[in-house]
Amino acid sequence: MNQHIIYLLPIFFSLFGAIICIIPVRYLDRVASVIASVLSLSSAIYILFRPVYIDGFLYIDGLSKLLILTIAMVYLSTVLYSLSYLKHIENLLFQHRLYYILLNIFVATMFFSVSVNNLGLIWVGIEATTVSSALLIATENNQVTVESAWRYVIIVSTGLVISLISITFIYGSAGTLSLHELLLHHPDNRVFMIGILLGIVGFGTKAGVFPMHTWLPDVHGKAPAPVSAIFSAVLLPVALYAIARFIQIFPSDTIKLFALILGVLTVAVAALMMTVQSNYKRMFAYSSMENMGMILIGFSLGGYGLLGAVIIIVSHGLAKSSVFFLTGDVLSIYHTTDIQKVHGLIQRLPRAAATLFIAAMAVTGAPPFAIFVGELFIFSVLITQYGWLLALVVILFLAIAFISVNFKTGKMIFTGNESFKRERSRTETWVAIVNLVLSFIVVLFIPYFELLLKNLL
Amino acid sequence: MNQIFEVLGFLLIVFTLLMQWEIHVRRIIILFAASSFIIAIFLVLLGLSRPHEEYLLFVLAGLTIVVRGITIPVVMNKALRRLYNKPWRVREDKPLFGVGGSILLSLVLIAIGYFIYQNSLYSVLKVRSGSVPFALFLQASLLIISHKHAYIQMIGFLVMENAVVMLSGWVFGGLPFIIEAGVILDLLGLVVVSSLIIRVRESAILREGDTYESELRG
Repeated sequence: MNQHIIYLLPIFFSLFGAIICIIPVRYLDRVASVIASVLSLSSAIYILFRPVYIDGFLYIDGLSKLLILTIAMVYLSTVLYSLSYLKHIENLLFQHRLYYILLNIFVATMFFSVSVNNLGLIWVGIEATTVSSALLIATENNQVTVESAWRYVIIVSTGLVISLISITFIYGSAGTLSLHELLLHHPDNRVFMIGILLGIVGFGTKAGVFPMHTWLPDVHGKAPAPVSAIFSAVLLPVALYAIARFIQIFPSDTIKLFALILGVLTVAVAALMMTVQSNYKRMFAYSSMENMGMILIGFSLGGYGLLGAVIIIVSHGLAKSSVFFLTGDVLSIYHTTDIQKVHGLIQRLPRAAATLFIAAMAVTGAPPFAIFVGELFIFSVLITQYGWLLALVVILFLAIAFISVNFKTGKMIFTGNESFKRERSRTETWVAIVNLVLSFIVVLFIPYFELLLKNLL
Repeated sequence: MNQIFEVLGFLLIVFTLLMQWEIHVRRIIILFAASSFIIAIFLVLLGLSRPHEEYLLFVLAGLTIVVRGITIPVVMNKALRRLYNKPWRVREDKPLFGVGGSILLSLVLIAIGYFIYQNSLYSVLKVRSGSVPFALFLQASLLIISHKHAYIQMIGFLVMENAVVMLSGWVFGGLPFIIEAGVILDLLGLVVVSSLIIRVRESAILREGDTYESELRG
């Protein structure tokens, strides 16, 4: 088989799934989406063991491979979770069929964004994720979800216009947008550097990086659980992937320092915002923002900092999707996202409660989960390059985030004096459990990650 | 040719100023369609100014007319008609700035655009009046933040995209065709999806009033 085609398989399968979903046959949308996601995951695993592939259109190195794999894993779990979760949504904006069409296209655009060998096409792909995902936010038809979908469109698109300007600057000064060519040689002038800086700000909007993060808690707080899960787990890292490429192209001290400052500010703002959250979905959204901040710090540091960032991307993707799936279970039982109104979760939904407790620990960087190991890598480089003081400041904010999330999650799970009736356990909880287990297993594959990212370290 | 580009850039700024003053959404859509035709003229002239005629720029100009100049305004007008009984009367009720304030702010933004360009990029790019697309970009941002009506915010975003087309063509000689075509397609998709969201949003607001503020805090 033509090598080129093998690397296009994940995009092809997800798009094929979307096309099959158009046919109005009962349950065909669900079956097609499951098959498409299984085939995408199989091809992503196969690609992982294939050599690095670079041609005029594709750029598949270790970083791309790991992102394709993460997207594929979260894609499959999101489809499986959606199968039963959509039944709990009473006022759907559109038919199930359109939900699956959009979900499949959304995933295809993410696969496309992390596979192409052109900064302009990466922009086109990431903007296409906005087009395909905006309606998914408003799956549950009410004024608040529709408003948050609108805010998402307008804020993210405006941010992406900034990154389009950056693409213009880069092309204007380098005469090419080919990732491969830019990595080999690039101009060293002011226009090129401004282009890179604008790119970090512009794509940072989509990744929930401070100060353009305001859409993130609104959307995650109001979107249905599977949509919040896929947004948090893979959409934000896909935008960060673009930033990683920008830093990789032009790793000057100014660019790295700029990205580091944005990363630290993102962690700080997210941690402080977590302390005042009374809505558990918004709280976990800020937790995603905090993790994106850490990933950005890792990318800015390079070397083993980058390895740490990639470990967090994969592990956070699995653990955070697990968390958001479980918030869906909680919401469908309690019908509220207010932390104060959720009590005795361990009695009503023991399996989901225990998983949520461990998953919350995982996403906040508790050992022995891989996020903790990723953070260790980042701190070791941070201390070497910038000294203890900055590392301690970041550790302080991580500690605030850790205490806020786990205290509030613990409160929902363990408080409540009255006895609650145990609810029937839900099959979809198993999807969250599997993702959490996988997130733990990531720690065993770190040496392989190192091997895959050898050229970047 | 640079002088003609300057006139076109000036015209675009004037059109955006008119959008700022206008309160009726339909007229703002017409102004946007007109400004898209100016962008198409700009692309044709850019193609003619090249030593070797660039047919892809003419194709791009055609795409700009079809998508930005005709399809997007038609889609938006259709969405307005579906939502309101009298679409020609739909207006921005609470513009943030009056006519005087918006003239003043626009002048300030033009000055800021000029200052940024002159102090950071002119020494490298050496393109006279290259600050015009920057000023246009800032004007479009003002259009978004000073209006609450979703359609006008959407048009502000589209004007921003027009500014980027002008910037890439005028200052840098244009982006590769495949990227420009991808941008236009994305734009079309975004407008279609946004029109749907706006329709649901506006009908909910008409039905229930603004009830979301306490839940969406950013």
